[in-house]
Amino acid sequence: MAPFGAAATVVVAMLVGAVCVRGLGGLGREGSTAGGRVPFLGGWPPEAHAWSRYHARYYPMALLFLAFDMEMVFMYPWAVVFVEEGLVALVEMLMFIVILLLGVLYAWREGAFRWA
Amino acid sequence: MGLNSLRIRLAGAAPAPVFVVCGLGGRERVVDLYAEPGLQVYSTPRHAGVLLVVGRLTRGLVAPALQAHDQMASPRLVVRWTAADGDDPGDHGDVFPNAVVAHGSAAEVAAAVAAAHRELLAGDRPPSAALLADIEPAPWQGVGPYGTGGTGMTGGVPFGRPMAARAADRDDLELDQLKLRLGPLLPSLPSGLVLDVALQGDVVQSAAVGDNPYRLYAGDPVPAAPAPGLFERACHQPVRIAELERARARHHLRWAAGLARLVGLEALGVRLTTLSARLAASEESAQAERLLTRIGRSRWVAGTFAGGDLDDAGLAGLGPVARAAGSEEDARTHDPAYRALGFEPVLGEGGDTPGRVRQRLAEAVQALRLATAAGDATTTVSGVVEGPRGRLGRGAPPPSAALVDLVAGVVEGLEWGDAVAAIASLDLDVEEAARHPQMAMP
Repeated sequence: MAPFGAAATVVVAMLVGAVCVRGLGGLGREGSTAGGRVPFLGGWPPEAHAWSRYHARYYPMALLFLAFDMEMVFMYPWAVVFVEEGLVALVEMLMFIVILLLGVLYAWREGAFRWA
Repeated sequence: MGLNSLRIRLAGAAPAPVFVVCGLGGRERVVDLYAEPGLQVYSTPRHAGVLLVVGRLTRGLVAPALQAHDQMASPRLVVRWTAADGDDPGDHGDVFPNAVVAHGSAAEVAAAVAAAHRELLAGDRPPSAALLADIEPAPWQGVGPYGTGGTGMTGGVPFGRPMAARAADRDDLELDQLKLRLGPLLPSLPSGLVLDVALQGDVVQSAAVGDNPYRLYAGDPVPAAPAPGLFERACHQPVRIAELERARARHHLRWAAGLARLVGLEALGVRLTTLSARLAASEESAQAERLLTRIGRSRWVAGTFAGGDLDDAGLAGLGPVARAAGSEEDARTHDPAYRALGFEPVLGEGGDTPGRVRQRLAEAVQALRLATAAGDATTTVSGVVEGPRGRLGRGAPPPSAALVDLVAGVVEGLEWGDAVAAIASLDLDVEEAARHPQMAMP
């Protein structure tokens, strides 16, 4: 019974979703004209396309976050063997973290965390 | 059917969603609208169902107002808040032929707007049809490698709009420069200000102030000159200092309300607007004084605003903006009546945006204290009066004309949020700038 119930839930959810998309899609379109679809800039239509590339200055910080976030993944297997290995595991992990921390301090000195 | 009528009732009970177009002479009335509980004033027509045109439409405002009208979702409605004696014949308001006309106080207009909006929702009033022609500026062509209608992903003219041109940015990278014409209806700018900006990300690379939409052209109907305000009258006749200073404090309070709204503190904005109307009562005056002092000392000013430096040079006659930057000029120091009260101008809170904010708050507090201390003393007429924006009188151009000229320089290099705050800290009245003799009737 359980698999049928799950399948029925999915089918019902899809039906509801489809009805919503059809129903709501019509809402915004009602009365919409070319003059009304342009972006609102304060009264005048845009003269250039809005697709423009600019320097996202937080980009190095976002990359650093990803890198150091992934290092945390190594702590899961370490936690599994920590009880068996004891002090040795603790010291090894401390060394690992300290090396990473030096990397963070270096990035900080280089100004990677400032983007304003 | 029952569900639908319930939906209409619920929607009608909510505050009417309004987008405001500030026409000639509408500036002060717009400030009062924000404090009306029956209205929700939105900063984009996309969220609104009612276009509220306050004051006279000028030639420069017609096209933006029509665009904002069509950008509202249907069902929509136009309400015109005209002068007390009904319609303004001969202005450009006839571009909205089916507009509801309302007049009176902000509360009366808010009630009329809410009633009209309820009728609209219930289907008792026909919705306003689109007023601009339904023609795509450049229809989808499906040509080019990405269907952009042009040649290539970073070239071509998709939908009739060229891609952004490249220019060096602050990090010496050649990246896209987005050129936009913002205003005159953008609520984060002073109403009527048109700003042509070149943006990279949210950094303003360059800016120029566009045509003033409030200027009158030859052949335009000329509105009756507005009744002279207290500060204009004080140029020619003695007025009570208490009254004059209270008017100054009221002006600064209403400016502070706009600033609070700009940074999202709507409740503070409403409180400041309400207090500004009741400064004659000693209780409210003391309350306003305490509130302004607290805001001035709070970390909010230093933490919210940054940048927008102006140096002392070229600010002559610009009142708080000049005094914040260190100028000692204040017409009141030459008035014996003020000297008898021990008047000393507030000086040098800083030549940047937070400095100007603190300067105005401090001057408002000072004005309230002067009003309390002045008793029945009257000003000495010298032909020159220190207005809330700067020096008035002797045929000098209004301070706003000079303040508008400062805008382009002050926003350059700022991020957009700081640029908006820097413009707000100048306290522009674009309509007042249009009354400058050089602007009239080209």
